[in-house]
Amino acid sequence: MPAGRRGPAAQSARRPPPLLPLLLLCVLGAPRAGSGAHTAVISPQDPTLLIGSSLQATCSVHGDPPGATAEGLYWTLNGRRLPPELSRVLNTSTLALALANLNGSRQQSGDNLVCHARDGSILAGSCLYVGRVTNHAGISQHGAETVLSALLPLQVPPEKPFNISCWSKNMKDLTCRWTPGAHGETFLHTNYSLKYKLRWYGQDNTCEEYHTVGPHSCHIPKDLALFTPYEIWVEATNRLGSARSDVLTLDILDVVTTDPPPDVHVSRVGGLEDQLSVRWVSPPALKDFLFQAKYQIRYRVEDSVDWKVVDDVSNQTSCRLAGLKPGTVYFVQVRCNPFGIYGSKKAGIWSEWSHPTAASTPRSAPCSVCLSLRLILPVLASLLPSPHSTRTWLRPQESGSWRRCGGGAPSFPRPPHLPRGAAGPGAQLGCCSGPQGGPGP
Amino acid sequence: MDSWYPRMAKPWDSWGMLACLCTVLWHLPAVPALNRTGDLGPGPSIQKTYDLTRYLEHQLRSLAGTYLNYLGPPFNEPDFNPPRLGAETLPRATVDLEVWRSLNDKLRLTQNYEAYSHLLCYLRGLNRQAATAELRRSLAHFCTSLQGLLGSIAGVMAALGYPLPQPLPGTEPTWTPGPAHSDFLQKMDDFWLLKELQTWLWRSAKDFNRLKKKMQPPAAAVTLHLGAHGF
Repeated sequence: MPAGRRGPAAQSARRPPPLLPLLLLCVLGAPRAGSGAHTAVISPQDPTLLIGSSLQATCSVHGDPPGATAEGLYWTLNGRRLPPELSRVLNTSTLALALANLNGSRQQSGDNLVCHARDGSILAGSCLYVGRVTNHAGISQHGAETVLSALLPLQVPPEKPFNISCWSKNMKDLTCRWTPGAHGETFLHTNYSLKYKLRWYGQDNTCEEYHTVGPHSCHIPKDLALFTPYEIWVEATNRLGSARSDVLTLDILDVVTTDPPPDVHVSRVGGLEDQLSVRWVSPPALKDFLFQAKYQIRYRVEDSVDWKVVDDVSNQTSCRLAGLKPGTVYFVQVRCNPFGIYGSKKAGIWSEWSHPTAASTPRSAPCSVCLSLRLILPVLASLLPSPHSTRTWLRPQESGSWRRCGGGAPSFPRPPHLPRGAAGPGAQLGCCSGPQGGPGP
Repeated sequence: MDSWYPRMAKPWDSWGMLACLCTVLWHLPAVPALNRTGDLGPGPSIQKTYDLTRYLEHQLRSLAGTYLNYLGPPFNEPDFNPPRLGAETLPRATVDLEVWRSLNDKLRLTQNYEAYSHLLCYLRGLNRQAATAELRRSLAHFCTSLQGLLGSIAGVMAALGYPLPQPLPGTEPTWTPGPAHSDFLQKMDDFWLLKELQTWLWRSAKDFNRLKKKMQPPAAAVTLHLGAHGF
């Protein structure tokens, strides 16, 4: 294995040598590598190549003292001397090399091709990046593009980031997220910088707080203006260059989100087996701004992953879920959308779901007497006058028996008998709501 | 150094006592004033700095191993010695023996402090270029430890009343590879950076060991002071 001349600092790394002889060596002036030596230039310098391709390289020596010839020069690749039949002398100062059917690079930093002088000292080197072709069609934003990527990472300038999305929490800050270009971070270390400026006002600003909601995100905490659009873009930089995403223009008021509703309570409705009452408080942060809130409720059975969603819950703070299974634990969540900020007709961005609140529907013991009583009692009760005037009838459960919101005795006219299974398992159930949305908090 | 110890093994015989006393009185001014005040002095922080250099040396061994494997052969071969072309700006640890021995404390400490400031700066540049997350983590960890060593040296200098060297404007090391700086040249620079770091840590251990012995309490200083001469 060829080695450079031994210099004072080139001792084995395993045991530090005693200082005295080490320093003495310096005093005596041990031969140093590279002092007044010839140097050379390799071409191509740091090329990128395909696996299986060939390489023609040259090493051209130049140096002041005479005798700077190609005589005695030799090549090594990753520390291994290459067979002399692969080299040939082109002229007095140039040695050529021909390599065929290249294998993929041995290490991530590239293969080390080195041109040595006769005495083994290093004259020049070149890093070979040998990799395979990757077709990025359909993945890259640039359409069907064939991109060379090494089996081990290749050094290229970054691809432009895309898919920037931003949101503002209670109009106080702005958080943005983006997707890096196709190569991502697996190649050269890439630095991302989120920039923004107010349209029509020239100054660029740079976001400072990164990685707030994932690796490609940034948070702008203050000094945000309303009513004028912002232009936002991401710049990706690495050692070899930079790329800029497309500019996203947005108005803070269009991307407002808020906190999930606090204090979500779920409770039973008396003894009703198929109903639960959900109550919440509207998020306090936006109470100073003119907005209407829209809410969404979702619930699921304890051991299921399928959520049922109650949509279109506008501007109320309670809802009754009906059509539930008796004696079952349900998890319930609520989220809020600040709708119509400052009178606009646009919806904002939905908040996160509130923490799941659990409650269970009551179960009464099965009993044939009870069953018949349940059938008879409503009939008997219907013959009696009732003070209740508002009542909403709900579609029946799968069992076919009736359940009613409001919990009181029914009044005339008697509800029509609806067929069984009208409320299929996949149906979206609305809130039981009278004019005030059922029994209030 | 060992030849002195048997001589002083029996200090209680009369000539020995006299020799002791004379030596102590003669060398008294050379002992740092802080020891006479009776407080701990800079001794513990010198010991700590010494320990840190040993720890860093150990940490560097595994970091260099990983990094040189990343550069690939021949960089990770034990006798590899490329030309020092671009690495001229690196602070050199190797020094003439007489020069090293005759360094006064302030100069010894200043050289260490300046060297590690430069080396830390270059290492941070290396970290910016490193292509894998694992390497970046190892380098970042090492940089933190090196920062700790710098702080420790600064503490010793402060305890001894020496001012910290301030970088002159324009002489701060910058990590800007020139436009024609090839990847291979960069690898050689990386190699020399790690090599120089290693050499400096070896040297620093000796520097601080020397300082540690100088700061010992007077009674023991006689033995060791004479010992130091023989070194």
